[in-house]
Amino acid sequence: MTPTVSVDGLLAGYRQADEQQHRVAEATVRCIGTWGIAKTSLDDIARAAGMSRATLYRVAPGGKERLIAAVVCFEVGRCFARIDDELAAAGDLADVLTRGITTSMRMVTTHPVIKALVEHEPDRILPHFAFDQLGRSLAVTSELARPHLARHLPEDAIAPAAEWAARIVLTYSINPSASVDPHDPESVRRLVATYVMPALARLQEAAP
Amino acid sequence: MTPPDGVEAPSGTRLRIIEAAYACVARDGIAKTTLEAAAQEANVARATVYRYFPGGRDELFGAVVAWEVERFFAGVRVDVGDVPDFATYLERGLLAARRRFTEHTLLQDLLAGEAEMLVPPLVEVMPLVVNLLAADLALRLKRERLRPGVDPEVAGDLLARMTLSHMGTPGVWDLDAPGEARRLVREWWLAGVLAD
Repeated sequence: MTPTVSVDGLLAGYRQADEQQHRVAEATVRCIGTWGIAKTSLDDIARAAGMSRATLYRVAPGGKERLIAAVVCFEVGRCFARIDDELAAAGDLADVLTRGITTSMRMVTTHPVIKALVEHEPDRILPHFAFDQLGRSLAVTSELARPHLARHLPEDAIAPAAEWAARIVLTYSINPSASVDPHDPESVRRLVATYVMPALARLQEAAP
Repeated sequence: MTPPDGVEAPSGTRLRIIEAAYACVARDGIAKTTLEAAAQEANVARATVYRYFPGGRDELFGAVVAWEVERFFAGVRVDVGDVPDFATYLERGLLAARRRFTEHTLLQDLLAGEAEMLVPPLVEVMPLVVNLLAADLALRLKRERLRPGVDPEVAGDLLARMTLSHMGTPGVWDLDAPGEARRLVREWWLAGVLAD
């Protein structure tokens, strides 16, 4: 059973992966995006990665479920690395939130594995984004945003602000609305400026 | 809670089957609640169940979820009562929803034991709940003094989504602690919505 994931762990797992691990991850993503988890076999993955079964076993021992768990961690790490870079380039607090929300929403709504699973195997993915398990997902995502928000907010506002942004990403990704379009950063910027920033601006002013 | 346009509240045999299926789930869980079990519980033929739910077990289960969700929010409405002040209405609604959610024994048992079977139909019915709550909040917001640039429909939608999000997942907010729900609603959610 994998231990509790940390953002640092996920980022490191991705950034330290070697060429073969990259190939396996990309091949697995392609297979699952096409056929879903149940119908993807280790043979499929080996073929898509251009490897023999023996090589695949060496790179990713432990069977299909363990490989998929590892690839999920890798993919999350990859997405987090992108978001991290995006947040590092942000300017003021509104920019951090806008970029974070836009990039995250775009990833969630266009990732082939997420789309395939939500469509065909919702039982494998949705429980991670609801109720108790969502609490864990929110905590991990908040950890990613923390250093970027810490530049702009007092300590006790960081976690609630990060969580608010994560909840916004999730709800509008799962249940789209005309008012928030991840492919239109301006719509996200407007939402952030109108509905999120006023509360945070007050907290910035109140900070010692 | 009035059902959305085009969706009638179940009645007669349809309702009896739904109630029977609910009773089966409460007793045996989701996996063990077959179409046959529901038919037997409702004292109707299997063919009758198929007539009302041609999609079979999945369709029946979806209907049970929708029916119970409706009852749940009707209960929340009763708890909140009549509150003219928008901020208080939202605060009470959040707390009532959260309390009913945590105290719903069957729901909590199923989430603990059969989440992968319950969550997908719940996620499917949530947009309907969001729309109903959003419309209710938007209507009330139109009677309030709003900040410049605030669209009551957009605000109502966002507030509905956040209420349901916090109902199911408290995150870093301990809503049971005195004053926390009030702080979340007034200092965070409504800071960008209501004029001072």
